[in-house]
Amino acid sequence: MERALKLVAALLPIAFAFAFLVPVFDQGMQALGINAPFGLSTLTLAVIIGGGWGLVAQVTGRWI
Amino acid sequence: MNAQKPIIPADLSQMSDRELRKLELSIARKYSGQVPWIAVIWAFGNLACWLSLWPLVFLNILPLWAAFPIATINMALVYLPTHEAQHDIIARPGTKLRWLNELVGHATSWMLLMPFQVLRVSHLDHHRHTNDPELDVDITSSASGPWHAIWNAVQGRQPNAKRNQDYLASLTRNGREDLIVLSLLYRIGFIAILGTLAWNGFAMEALLLWWLPYQIAITYIVFFLSWAPHHPATHQTRYTNTRSWKSAVGNIGSMGMQFHIVHHLHPYIPLHLTPAAYREMRPILEARGCRLGEI
Repeated sequence: MERALKLVAALLPIAFAFAFLVPVFDQGMQALGINAPFGLSTLTLAVIIGGGWGLVAQVTGRWI
Repeated sequence: MNAQKPIIPADLSQMSDRELRKLELSIARKYSGQVPWIAVIWAFGNLACWLSLWPLVFLNILPLWAAFPIATINMALVYLPTHEAQHDIIARPGTKLRWLNELVGHATSWMLLMPFQVLRVSHLDHHRHTNDPELDVDITSSASGPWHAIWNAVQGRQPNAKRNQDYLASLTRNGREDLIVLSLLYRIGFIAILGTLAWNGFAMEALLLWWLPYQIAITYIVFFLSWAPHHPATHQTRYTNTRSWKSAVGNIGSMGMQFHIVHHLHPYIPLHLTPAAYREMRPILEARGCRLGEI
């Protein structure tokens, strides 16, 4: 149980990124009328930006 | 308030430590013992206001841009009523209204993603170990100046922040490891709620009604409740570990923290009575060598 909780706690940054940051970027770009470059969809770009940021936070332990 | 105004001698320099203490306590008791209904109304009024923003925005009655600053103010106002409850100021254990004290604490602290008991245990630990570099859970808010304090407040919310470890250590030290799991469940619950809203098309609403207001409010709360009244956070004695100070944004803008020294000396005095208690106690605090600002 303790190990499972520690694992969940350790994965919170990446979970936050995919649960929240990705749709925030996606819907934020749509609301502001920003198109993704290279023919990408806003969701794909959001996954790249939000997921990438979450991965960095997961590895370094810092969002900023 | 409980009693008549104690008579403070013109010259306190001749008074013994015990006499000063007795006089100080007589003033403190005068401002304690009543239910601070203002904190109760504040707690539930603020909660109701914030909760009402959600349907108002979802039903397009209130635009999101207008709801965002209201939500931010709501978030900033959450902490002080729960702080009164942490100190049992609304009702002490064993009294008739004890349930109300606990209800205020539990009903509001979740908005700040912290279980009430975690806030209580860690905050009382802060009072026991104020400015202790090893044991004060709020020591990471110490900073050289206001901009540094804001930056530290942001850094204190990073996944690997020392502040997180300090809070865990406080819970462990107080034999409340059970609250660590509860804290984690609050975090998971928060992400689950944000995620559910966001993946159902309400990401902007979740962002501007909860996540961003929370971030701004916590920075504001740490700045005014933790950094400013303890700055420079190097004094550890009872009469010097907190100070009075003149805030550029006034007493309301700084959430009553200009008189935080009274709270640390007598944590059973309700927030709204600390200015009056401070003014009456000031000559004693001067005689004690307290760090008093131009107020």
